[in-house]
Amino acid sequence: MWSTAIWKKTWGDQALLGVAFAMLWAAFPWIYLGLSAQIEMNAFQDILLRAIPEDWQKLSGVPFAEVATHVGRVALAFVDPVVVLAATVWGVTRGSDAVSGQLERGTMEMLLAQPVRRRAVYVTQAVATTVGAACLCGVLYAAVYTAVRFGPWSGRVDPLLFLPAATNVFGLMVCMGGLAAGVSACDSYRWRTIGILCGFYVFSLLAKLVGRLSASFAWVGYLSVFNAYEPQRLVGGGWESWQRLAVYDGVLIGIGLLGYCIGGVVFSRRDLPAPL
Amino acid sequence: MLVTTDNLTKSYGDFLALTECSLAVSEGEVFGLLGPNGAGKTTLLRLLLGFIQPTSGTASIAGFDSRSESLAVRRNTAYLPGEARLFRRMRGHQVLDFFTGMRADYCRQRAQRVADRLMLDCRRQVARMSTGMRQKLALAMVLAIDCPLLILDEPTANLDPTARGEVLDLVHEARRAGRTVMFSSHVLSEIEDTCDRVVILRAGRLVHEQSIAHLRRRHRITARLAGPLGELPPELAHSVRIRQMADGRVELEVAESLTDLLGWLASLPLGELRIEPVGLATIYDHYHREGGGNGLALPQQPVASPLQPV
Repeated sequence: MWSTAIWKKTWGDQALLGVAFAMLWAAFPWIYLGLSAQIEMNAFQDILLRAIPEDWQKLSGVPFAEVATHVGRVALAFVDPVVVLAATVWGVTRGSDAVSGQLERGTMEMLLAQPVRRRAVYVTQAVATTVGAACLCGVLYAAVYTAVRFGPWSGRVDPLLFLPAATNVFGLMVCMGGLAAGVSACDSYRWRTIGILCGFYVFSLLAKLVGRLSASFAWVGYLSVFNAYEPQRLVGGGWESWQRLAVYDGVLIGIGLLGYCIGGVVFSRRDLPAPL
Repeated sequence: MLVTTDNLTKSYGDFLALTECSLAVSEGEVFGLLGPNGAGKTTLLRLLLGFIQPTSGTASIAGFDSRSESLAVRRNTAYLPGEARLFRRMRGHQVLDFFTGMRADYCRQRAQRVADRLMLDCRRQVARMSTGMRQKLALAMVLAIDCPLLILDEPTANLDPTARGEVLDLVHEARRAGRTVMFSSHVLSEIEDTCDRVVILRAGRLVHEQSIAHLRRRHRITARLAGPLGELPPELAHSVRIRQMADGRVELEVAESLTDLLGWLASLPLGELRIEPVGLATIYDHYHREGGGNGLALPQQPVASPLQPV
């Protein structure tokens, strides 16, 4: 079930993207907090609590009163596109490379001509993607921790409050990685796998919006994986945040694992197309 | 037998890529696969390796079933695909190093020796190599594996003449070392010069099997007859077929040694005598030209060939 040579190669393949995202996530919390601190809290509260219609609170996921605090403002960093998109891109790019990427490049045949099980190739890729995701979330949390501890709002916020939020990011990455790997295992073209996952991403975003904005279509929100990605609701501290995280990441990681498992079964049995 | 298939069939919906293919390859043999594009050669090889699952029939290598024991099959096999694709971001030597970790029977030093022999610069990145260079790199990797069976799908494709000669020498060396080689090619001269036996595939069917040693004994003699032909000696009747044309020419097809026949020929009133070996091209053309090259005109059963091996 394991191949050291493939492990090293997979890490080599994801090194560039991993380093790029690590640098991005290492810098982002500092930049975000630096820019947020430019807006005084009173001014921010004025905008949020008075200028924006109350109906729009539904989009936030938490009451504006919670957002209009130092903790709330830091938590918004986890729903910023820099974090959400990067997390999704990691999962989709690495997951899609598991099978359809290698089939499209034609390298799968040389690889599987060797005495290595298909499961080993697939599992090694899955583990590398997941460990990479964990490393990136570690970098993100370390950057948030240091930015909160030593940044412009030093002393006002407990950085440990954001650990569940960073773990929720990990759940999202595993979810997208697993879904991408599952689709990849059924496909022969990486571009098509990525396209399908992009469509899924857009659908999930829209489903969450519809579910939030429409009472009669609230059930649509449950079709979105982003319904389990709510880091801004995990910064309240205490046992409740961890319980909520367990539910959210349970869903996200569960979906991811299901995608990986289905992909593994399909890949181990399918015919491999010859390279074009 | 090291490789056996029994009524091996692969269909994709209504399309039959390979139909009831039964063959056996002995240990130490160089076995050729010949056929036009789409004949089923690569399908056969990929079925043997377990890349695709047969619709029906069985295949085995070294006693291991290709379907259920694919891992053991691949432990006993080194495979060069027809389109060898390698990892583009790696350099040549990194590719050769990578496979060191994949197989216990892979010799890194031997891979480098083969690469040097094929005059390949392993410092170059795969993405910056030409098609021929990538082919050489793949060959260096495959020929460095010490296993009972080598499967080479068009190994000389995209190679310059010098490299092509080296590859064929390496195949001969593999045979001398006791290894079995399955060799697929479009180049008839390579098959004739390298293989012990060859099968011809057409439209997914195995239509002919030929021993190269038997083929080398076959000759075609054409001549103009200036008088009566005379009686063929009885001892030559089983190995000679005679055809007299309307224009006074006669054609003899000889399946055995010419030595016994030459004496009888010398007694005949022949002119414009021409003796030529029956090459693989003649047999190949018989199966692939008569039907217009598209397989549609062939009957379901293999054609009864005047060139059937005796």
